Amino acid sequence: MRLIVHNMLTCNIKGVINKFPLRIEAEKVIKKEVDFNPDFLRHMLAKIEWKALVDGARSMGYTELPDHAPDTERVESDESFLKKFHHALLELHLEEGSLVCQETGRKFPVDKGVPNMVLREDEV
Amino acid sequence: MLLNVLRSIRFSSIARHPLFSRFNSIATSKKMRDVKVKATSKSTHEDEEVEILQSRENEISSPLSVKSTPEIEKKYVHKVYDAIAPHFSSTRFAKWPKVAAFLDSLPSGSVVLDAGCGNGKYLGLNPSCFFIGCDISNPLIKICSDKGQEVLVADAVNLPYREGFGDAAISIAVLHHLSTENRRKSAIEELVRVVKPGGFVLITVWAAEQEDKSLLTKWTPLSPKYVEEWVGPGSPINSPRVRNNPFFGLESIPETEVSIKEKKTEISPSFGLESIPETEESTREQKSESIPETKDGLGEQKDENSVEELLEAMKMNQQEYFVPWHLPYHRAEVSGASASALASGLAKKDDRKGAVVYNRYYHVFSEGELERLASGVDNAVIVDKFYDKSNWCIVLQKAKP
Repeated sequence: MRLIVHNMLTCNIKGVINKFPLRIEAEKVIKKEVDFNPDFLRHMLAKIEWKALVDGARSMGYTELPDHAPDTERVESDESFLKKFHHALLELHLEEGSLVCQETGRKFPVDKGVPNMVLREDEV
Repeated sequence: MLLNVLRSIRFSSIARHPLFSRFNSIATSKKMRDVKVKATSKSTHEDEEVEILQSRENEISSPLSVKSTPEIEKKYVHKVYDAIAPHFSSTRFAKWPKVAAFLDSLPSGSVVLDAGCGNGKYLGLNPSCFFIGCDISNPLIKICSDKGQEVLVADAVNLPYREGFGDAAISIAVLHHLSTENRRKSAIEELVRVVKPGGFVLITVWAAEQEDKSLLTKWTPLSPKYVEEWVGPGSPINSPRVRNNPFFGLESIPETEVSIKEKKTEISPSFGLESIPETEESTREQKSESIPETKDGLGEQKDENSVEELLEAMKMNQQEYFVPWHLPYHRAEVSGASASALASGLAKKDDRKGAVVYNRYYHVFSEGELERLASGVDNAVIVDKFYDKSNWCIVLQKAKP
């Protein structure tokens, strides 16, 4: 699971208000290089919840992201920022671990890189 | 492009299928053939329906949320796909041109959400887009992740995604596995919810109006009593017109070339998988030519055929089916699920075909039904709708604020 996916995932347990973001408990993280594509990154910047990305990256052992993303005008020219964003968003993979609902503590397992978000009968 | 690189990255461990490596296919196909299944395996579809009706009654008395999975889907969708995943995936390779065209039309860099992605056939189809797939079936998702695709196990009726993240979404041959109208509508609402304002959603479902009508003879219609209990009032099959008029639908029965008396209609060998999106499992089985029989007008055999014609008419309003999947014995060995499926009566053996036969539940859509359901979604408009290769298809666009 990459952070680009984590940045979208919510806990859908019935009645839960604080469903996003899920806290990451990382047991195994691997890195896989991916081609740098600044257009894609700029497109993603508008979608990303920045704090969730920063916290998620930290949980996976990457602490280089700034606390705030630069303004959209400055982003164009800030390649060093884009490279860090790229690395966090696309190159870190959570292979084993859990995604934890901040409100209920419910753990969604991540097994061989695949999160299982299916709820039990009583959670729906 | 981005995704080319992503796809070219191979995991250091080659995708393995550990289950396959443990068995010798000759020894085990003999073993599966020898497996004696209890007399209960002879239970008819009627028995299965009774079981489903009972669990449906239980579900009604303690009302289920629309997000809860009904028994019929657990048994005849989830369990089946889990059991047949690798075989199913091996038959799912033809890329449907209409889906490819939709995906190719998306702007470069689009985030595409595929809800009910199955074996991941469409993930990465447009290499300039970023695909995220989900499916309820863990074994199918494993096939995707082994290919390096970004996937998760999730329920299409309750997507664990925050609103508006996707640029587009697709739902290819998924909604017909949902057994209530509310669930089907919820799934459409979910697809719209997870895309950005202005984002597009493509949905395709099996049509009740199949191009190859002979296929219908291979499907088991679930009985009217089942439909009444399960689908509820308002189903066309329960209309007074059908019930009171033995000749209902005579005028609406198209002149088909295939008689309903045919028992063994097989798909002609000239059909390639490319022309039948997801309607039959394999063209590798031995097929015999179908023998067409024409009806000479409605007058002459009216009395004899009236019962059959009524049944035919009812069949034409029939939308609830079990569609078989034949899992060859040598494939069934590798899935422990088949042994327990046979034991529990969920699947049956067909020694003649050398396969374990599973039933998949389908609610096929009638003309206009998908459109009607989608029209009920407030913040989306229908921008395209079409019938293609026995599927009803629709493209929605989420409203901009």
